[in-house]
Amino acid sequence: MRYISFLKANKTLSIMLIAYIILFLYSPGKAGHAINESVYYFLEMIMIMPVIFILTALIEAWIPKERIMNHLGKDSGFKGMLFAFALGSFSAGPIYAAFPICVMLLKKGAKISNIVIILSTWAVIKIPMLINEAQFLGFKFTLFRWILTTISIFLIAFIMNYFIKITDIPNSEIEEDEQGMPVFIDTNFCIGCTICKQVSPSIFDIKEKKAILLTDQWDNELLAQASIAAKRCPAKVIHIKEDEVD
Amino acid sequence: MDIFTVMLWIITLVLLLISFKKDKEKTKLVFKMSKGLAGGMIGGIIGIILLIGFVLTLFPPEMITSYLSGKSQFLSTFMAAGVGSVTLIPAFIAFPLIEELLKSGVSMMVSVAFLTTLTMVGIVTFPLERESFGLKFTLFRNVGSFIFAIIIAVIMGGIL
Repeated sequence: MRYISFLKANKTLSIMLIAYIILFLYSPGKAGHAINESVYYFLEMIMIMPVIFILTALIEAWIPKERIMNHLGKDSGFKGMLFAFALGSFSAGPIYAAFPICVMLLKKGAKISNIVIILSTWAVIKIPMLINEAQFLGFKFTLFRWILTTISIFLIAFIMNYFIKITDIPNSEIEEDEQGMPVFIDTNFCIGCTICKQVSPSIFDIKEKKAILLTDQWDNELLAQASIAAKRCPAKVIHIKEDEVD
Repeated sequence: MDIFTVMLWIITLVLLLISFKKDKEKTKLVFKMSKGLAGGMIGGIIGIILLIGFVLTLFPPEMITSYLSGKSQFLSTFMAAGVGSVTLIPAFIAFPLIEELLKSGVSMMVSVAFLTTLTMVGIVTFPLERESFGLKFTLFRNVGSFIFAIIIAVIMGGIL
């Protein structure tokens, strides 16, 4: 049963398993070759993956993001751009994890160019990834690509700062949830890191790689726990109605 | 294991030790988070690795190279950038793949175009981005990234 739900949650994997079975029936030699290729990539990956995840989590735990976020406003200038660059480079998770954080920063008055810098560096430039890139493609390659990408990101940010006005951005108040629940998870952006479940297993669980709520009965004790989880959530997808907390 | 991997392991272990000395609870959380991140991604990663093995068997790098060599350099760079924009492969799987393509003779320009759009342009995440920042912002950022990825590829193809 567990395997079935695992396969359901991982569509690419399931499709590939079927594809391999078909390939094996059609041409066992080719299937063997494909498996050999895959094993090579698997071995390359398994040596580096644990470090990348641990480094990512370490950075997430120790870099004081709140302090960085306070320096991104209208008059932040060059310093703000550097802060935005640092925030993106030292963050964990896929790019969509950056969306809710950037929406929040925009509401707090962050400049469009800084948001563009955060999003692009978040997607492209990750410190652990740079080391990984140098390993395969060489130091010179990585350095050149890093310099060129950084320049591009800053140029795109300048251009967009000129053309995009704050009014172009939808005022996406997260629909304060339907039944007026005090706690709400914006599942679209959840990266399934399980932090919330670790913090309070009685409130949160992970289902198909997304966090879900286990309760709809809230007391102060539970709300306090939920707000700790909300603070620790790297993608900031747990929303708590402030007036209910205190 | 090569020197880079060993270095990365040593750096990480030293940082972990420092983290553990400073704050045990936080370090425990670091472990749980990395376990959660890995657990959430491992199925998808293995799926993509199997896909790469599959594609490389049906279309060996030599075949890709000879297919591309008939085309103009510019057209193949655009095609590679297009493929990179629609695919969602974690970078750490893409690096060994690019290495293999480069070794089998795919040009630097084409490889860099693929690698850069892979992370910089997101067709798959486009709807989510639009929902958060609106169509104009999302269009500008992705089109801008695509154009600059081509420029980066051309420059890197010229100097490396």
